[in-house]
Amino acid sequence: MSRLSERVAGFFDRHPLLSKGAWLAEIIVKKALFRCQDCGQCVLSYNAFTCCMRCPKEMRNGPCGGTREDGHCEVYPERYCIWWLIYERSRKLRRLDKLRKFHIPVDRRLQHTSAWLNMFAGRIEPLTLSARLKPGEEYPPRRAKEEEKKSEG
Amino acid sequence: MVSGSRLERLLREGHFVVCGEMSPPQGADKETIFRKCEYFRNYVDAVNLTDNQTAIVRMSSAMSSVFALAGGCEPIMQMTCRDRNRLAQQSEILGAYAAGVLNILCLTGDYMKFGNHPDAKGCFDLDSVQLIYAVSEMNAGRFVCGEEMKSPFGMFIGGAANPFAEPMKMRLIRLGKKIRAGAHFIQTQPVFDIPRFEKWMSAVRDEGYDQQVFILAGVMPVRSVKALLYMKNEVPGVRIADEYIKRMESAKDPKEEGVAMCVEIMKYLMQVPGVRGIHIMPVMWESITPRIVEEAGLLPRPEPKTSGGEGSDEQA
Repeated sequence: MSRLSERVAGFFDRHPLLSKGAWLAEIIVKKALFRCQDCGQCVLSYNAFTCCMRCPKEMRNGPCGGTREDGHCEVYPERYCIWWLIYERSRKLRRLDKLRKFHIPVDRRLQHTSAWLNMFAGRIEPLTLSARLKPGEEYPPRRAKEEEKKSEG
Repeated sequence: MVSGSRLERLLREGHFVVCGEMSPPQGADKETIFRKCEYFRNYVDAVNLTDNQTAIVRMSSAMSSVFALAGGCEPIMQMTCRDRNRLAQQSEILGAYAAGVLNILCLTGDYMKFGNHPDAKGCFDLDSVQLIYAVSEMNAGRFVCGEEMKSPFGMFIGGAANPFAEPMKMRLIRLGKKIRAGAHFIQTQPVFDIPRFEKWMSAVRDEGYDQQVFILAGVMPVRSVKALLYMKNEVPGVRIADEYIKRMESAKDPKEEGVAMCVEIMKYLMQVPGVRGIHIMPVMWESITPRIVEEAGLLPRPEPKTSGGEGSDEQA
């Protein structure tokens, strides 16, 4: 993110009431639209705008082995497997490429904070609406650097 | 060579490997592990030690792996993300490595609801892809937080794949992620549906994944039609072709039929291009392993020619 956005985020960070307000505004919208689970590090744009943290196992990198044949969840048979929905929506929106992204472990400190502010402050990776992955995004951070070097060399 | 484990050396030398699986005791009786080791030593190349499978409390996978080592078997320690956060996972991995456990299989883990403590809190701090990444970072000399590790470390990392769950394309995307996260070998769910496995395997070959990772196909000997129906109806993500259920129903001796079916599936898997080994899961029927391996013509088990010890960090 740019220096300007970092300064804006910094201003919010210094004023707890403001950042709580930003969080509240964000969570109200996202709870209503996406049943957001408030992890503070949004991956909606990678998952065809379907929140993967709704999975009982909080799987961020794809479905566990227990999806039933009809696409329902092994833990709650009355619900759909969230990754089944993510796959179906990604297919329809032609965003399958985005599913290849490697998601690093969740930073639990960011729970119940505004993902938008975290993005402006550079604490999380920026969300992009593009349907394509940026080069290297399918690798974990260290491998991505190695691959970059390889392609340069 | 990453770990220099027996399993890794055999795979890299191009041998067709056989793995077994045993469940640690539901108690503190280590003799059970030593007794079960008799069924695997000299008949398989490595044995998986499950980590509280189906969320039922058993002896810890790391400690059982150490006992399996003492019993003369090469252990593959299974580790799930259900019960431990990333701190506990890494510390347990360090301890197991220090005790000589060189293979690890990273799993997400069955949900608590299915076990004997359905009221427990689940951890699920990392998921299995991230756990593979964490161990791979440890292989590169740092913890998953980025801090450097003080001593050399190298484990042969495995992941699981389910060729039978839908949607298949999503499964392949996830398999690719596991490989890029640092998995060296993949063990699959038990094969009871050959056409479907064939379809999955050809997609795997199209992606070139069989060249980047060692794929070990799962098989499971069953004792009765009841066990097979339980698998079909109660274990999500398992597919069983009706043909096998009919065969078990009409069999005079279901145990013999179960062995015959298992050997038949193994013989088929042995000639599938890209399959580098078999993973036998004799759930609560460990004693049948020697017979199955022998009937499939996989005895005697080879000895690796290359020596173990300090390996260089070379990817599969």
